[in-house]
Formats: sequence, C-alpha cells, structure tokens
Amino acid sequence: MQSIIGKAWVAKGYVMSFDMILQRFWTAPVDPAENAKWVMAGVDEAFNREDGFKNMGYTFIVAGHNFAGGGKSIEHCITGLMGAGIQAVFATSFARLQFRNAINYGLPFITCKDMNLHCETGDELAYDPATGTIENRTRGTRFQSVPQAPFVAEVAAAGGLMNFIRQRISDGSVATLR
Amino acid sequence: MGMTITEKIMASNSGRESVVPGQLVWADIHTVMTMDYLGKQTFRAFESLGAKQLFDKNRVICVSDHLVPPPTPEFATMLNEWRDVVHRYEIPHFYDLGRQGIAHQLMVEQGHVLPGRISIGTDSHANTYGAVGAVGNAVGVSDAAVAMATGKLWFRVPESVRFHVTGTWQPWVMAKDLSLHIMGMMHWNGHLIYKTLEFGGPAIEALGMAGRMTLCNMTVDLGAKNGIISPDAITQAYLSGRTEDVWSPLASDADAPYDAVYEVDVTNLGPMLSRPDKLDDTAPVEALAGTPFNKAFVGTCTNGRTEDFAIMASILRGRQVRRGVNLLCIPASTDVYLECLREGYVEALVAAGAAFETSSCGPCAGIHTGVAGDGDVILSAGNRNMKGRMGSRHAQIYLTSPAVVAASCITGVITDPRSDDWT
Ligand code: SF4
Repeated sequence: MQSIIGKAWVAKGYVMSFDMILQRFWTAPVDPAENAKWVMAGVDEAFNREDGFKNMGYTFIVAGHNFAGGGKSIEHCITGLMGAGIQAVFATSFARLQFRNAINYGLPFITCKDMNLHCETGDELAYDPATGTIENRTRGTRFQSVPQAPFVAEVAAAGGLMNFIRQRISDGSVATLR
Repeated sequence: MGMTITEKIMASNSGRESVVPGQLVWADIHTVMTMDYLGKQTFRAFESLGAKQLFDKNRVICVSDHLVPPPTPEFATMLNEWRDVVHRYEIPHFYDLGRQGIAHQLMVEQGHVLPGRISIGTDSHANTYGAVGAVGNAVGVSDAAVAMATGKLWFRVPESVRFHVTGTWQPWVMAKDLSLHIMGMMHWNGHLIYKTLEFGGPAIEALGMAGRMTLCNMTVDLGAKNGIISPDAITQAYLSGRTEDVWSPLASDADAPYDAVYEVDVTNLGPMLSRPDKLDDTAPVEALAGTPFNKAFVGTCTNGRTEDFAIMASILRGRQVRRGVNLLCIPASTDVYLECLREGYVEALVAAGAAFETSSCGPCAGIHTGVAGDGDVILSAGNRNMKGRMGSRHAQIYLTSPAVVAASCITGVITDPRSDDWT
C-alpha cells in the first residue's frame, strides 16, 4: 500500500458534528458529492460557502480530543469529508458515532497523540497506512499512530461495511458472522 | 472475573459465554428503528445489499417524528415518500401522524425494547432504551440497513463506568438535574467517550421509568456508547402489558470490572441548568435565578413524559404564565398526550397559558413547530443547547428540568422551584 501525501487542515478547537454538517443539511440524501458542498461550514467562517472546505484541497485533518463530537449519528459528516477529498483524519480521540461511521465507510480515523501540537494548517503530511507512520514533511517530524483493529482494516479493504456485507450475502457466508 | 450488565448482553446476544472490553462481536439485534427523514435512505441502503427480505418485519419499527406535521412542501413530500416505502414493506409497527410520537419514547412505551437485548435506531438518543435494561445504540443508515438484512451488527464491547447513586431525592428535584449534574462533573463528551454508563444504587431504584429514560437518554450527550439500568420490579411492572416477549432478570456481577466508579449522593442535589451553547457549562439554579427569558419549551425524548407534565401542572395549576413568555408543551407520544388529558394536566397547563402541540420532536431539532428566532432566550427541558440547535444561531438556550421551566414561567425569570418566589 502506498503512502498518501497531501496538505493538512489543523483544527484549532473542538470540532463538533453539528458544525461539520449544519442543521439545514441533516435531511439531505447521504451523497459524497452533495454533502461535500457545505461540509465544515459551521466549523470555520472561511468554509461557510459552497465548496468552501473542498476548494481548499486538503487531504488530511488533524485534530485534538473528541473529533466530530456532539452526538450526531448522521453519515453525512463522513461522506461530506470524503467528497471533499479527505483521505484520513488524525486526532487524539474520536466521538463514537462518527468513529463508527468512518469505519463503516472505510475512511481512516487514526488515533495519534501529540501530532496536533506540532502541525499547522497547510503542512504537507505523508501517511503510510501499512505502518501507521505519519510524516510531517514541512516540519521534518514523524509520529506513530495507534494501530487499527484488524476488523477495521478488513472492512476498509472490502470498500466499506456495505460491500463487506454485500459480498457475504451473495456468497452465503453472512450467517457465520459472530 | 465477573461481567457488567452490558458485557453480559454483548456476550449472550453473540453466542458467547463471556466477552471483554475491546472485543469485537457480531451480535443479534432485537429491533431496528428508523424514522421519517432517514427512513427512505435506510430502506434504499437495505435494498442495495441484495438481501431477499427483511430479517423480521415485526422488528423493524418505523416512526414519523422529526417532520410531522410537515412544515414545508419539501418535508411533506419527503414524508409521502417515506410512507410509500413503509407501506411497500408492509411494516406492522408504523407510528405515523395520528398515532405518532418521538421514536425513542415509542420504542420503550410500546414494548419494542427488551431487557437483555440490543436495539438500534438511526437517531442519536437510542441510548434511552437502557432504561429497561436493554442496550440501546444510535447508528447510521448503513448499520441499520445491515441489521435489517442480517439481524446482526458489529459492536466493540465497551469499558464500563458505574455511577452509584445514593441519598434521598429532594422535592422538585428530578432525574434531569442528576443528568445535568453528571454533565458538569464529567464534561460534555469528555471522559466518557465510548464507555457504557451504568446507573445503580438506592436513588436509581427509587426512580420511575420516566426518570430512568431521562438519565439514559442523555448518556449520548456525555459521549457514551450506552447508558443502562438493571431491570427490577419497576421495570417488570412497566413492561407487563407492553410486551409479550419473555425476558429474564440480569445485573452486573459484584466483581465486574469497571474503568471507574463514581459515587453521587442526591440528598444535596438541587435543580440544575446548562448555560447556552455548551451542555457541560452547568450551574445550580441559585446561580442563574433572575435571568429573564421569553420562550419556554417542555417536550422531547428527554422530558416529554406524563411525569414531566404532572410536575408542571402541580406548579402552574391555578396560576398564570407571565405575559411576554411563550410556553410550548409537546407530549412525547400520543399515549402520553392521552394520559395527560385524562389526568387533567393539559387542562391545567392550557388554563395557565401554555400552548400544546401534537406529539413530535417539535422545535428540539429546529425543524418545525416553534423554532427559535434571533434574540430568543429559551428555557428548554430538552437535551441540546448548541448554537442553532432550535433554529437561529442567534438564540440562546438554557437547559433545565420541567419543574424549573414551570416555576420560571410564572415569574418570567429563572426561578428556583424550591423557593416561594412563584407561589
Ligand atoms: S426530541 Fe430532539 S433529541 Fe429527541 S429524537 Fe427528537 S430531535 Fe432528537
């Protein structure tokens, strides 16, 4: 598996799911292209315009504690980020509901201590999914993330939970899942 | 080593003798709930999986709660499409306008959740189901679709945190006050991310089902995976007549492992509030007494139950809501509404100047029925107060108990129901 290389957006404060997808979009269809248009609109005034976040061309998000918290179960938060080109999120911890949705969609939500303290928006990062190392090329620093559970990798390899189950329904092995 | 109640449920529903925190299991799902604005998408996701049929159409519970009655042509159309899907699948348990209620209230009240089983819903406050000793979990559309097709879902077994609650409840103090107290103590989505929160002890055993639902409901706002209370005689009495399904008593073992155990004594607990924008910015009512507001709201899956309107009626009966304050009451379900009518609570409150609306989420999510405008200061018995939650981002929401709302509506400023300011 190749490293992913790109620019990071670094959260300054606590990022809430409510601000990632504003209320008026909760009832919209779950669709990466649609959800990406206004994703993060409530997080930063600069993103509060159509394609505001997407047009910044970020590949990664770096955040602190409880990323995507506030207790919203809508998948739009995840599909919005994916549609906007985000390929991994690094945080010291993640809120449960969106962590689960990220796993189901195969978007890496990677737990990593301290790297948010040593990173600025616009820094170039290289993430190696095979080893879990994150290199900050702008600052010449390296971080080791917490390894993902095997199940998470398995779901990601299948292309998400829906595909994972689809395959098992079609080959009849779904009954054996325990 | 013993197991906690949530571990036992994860084990028994995944065909295991035991589980440990961190373990990944595929567990059997008792019921799946989905509702109006995500329902059609959930069924569409289910269809895309290639399953021949629903795992059990009696255990897929469909509800119209966030959008009824519809405020716009777009939402009316969305509801029509939702109804078409539910009818196409011939879902027996469909709670639509006229028989509606907030999904989480209906799930518990109509016997769709059972002690010792796991139920999920495509809405965050599915944690409410822990009130009867079930694992209740909020999930996304994909998870619900997978469970609808397979009857199963993956779970990581959570670490357990116990709140051992003792002491005597003081007059006018409610489960909501304990919830807000814990919120202030643990911080919003702070130390409890991913944990299962177990509530026990004499002061929990003294709570009726309404209070237990309030407490478990707000565990999602603490960032927890679920909240749970061991079923007891109160649970048994509540469930008899609501479900034919059989269940057995269960509780955590005495030697079960906990990440942390917190002791709370309610004897000294008074009415609590959260200041606008941040749930964990809590304060005792004394600290905020005298603060003016112009709107009040009691309803939601947190505090829209008969007991909540009963305590309001006991305060407002024979008195008047102060001019300049709009008090909106929305029963959490049609059954709650009927009960409040029979008990005379609706009459007492309407005579006092409260407005009643038919059961729904109402303005809680800022979608319809009395949403917030710029400059509004709202005293709400709901569960969330972040910017824009009830409509305008330029409104302020104080969260509190129905007792505080009622006493404050008489004076027009935040008022301690224990004081004689309102009498
Ligand atoms: S009442 Fe409020 S919190 Fe409860 S389900 Fe409805 S919108 Fe959500």
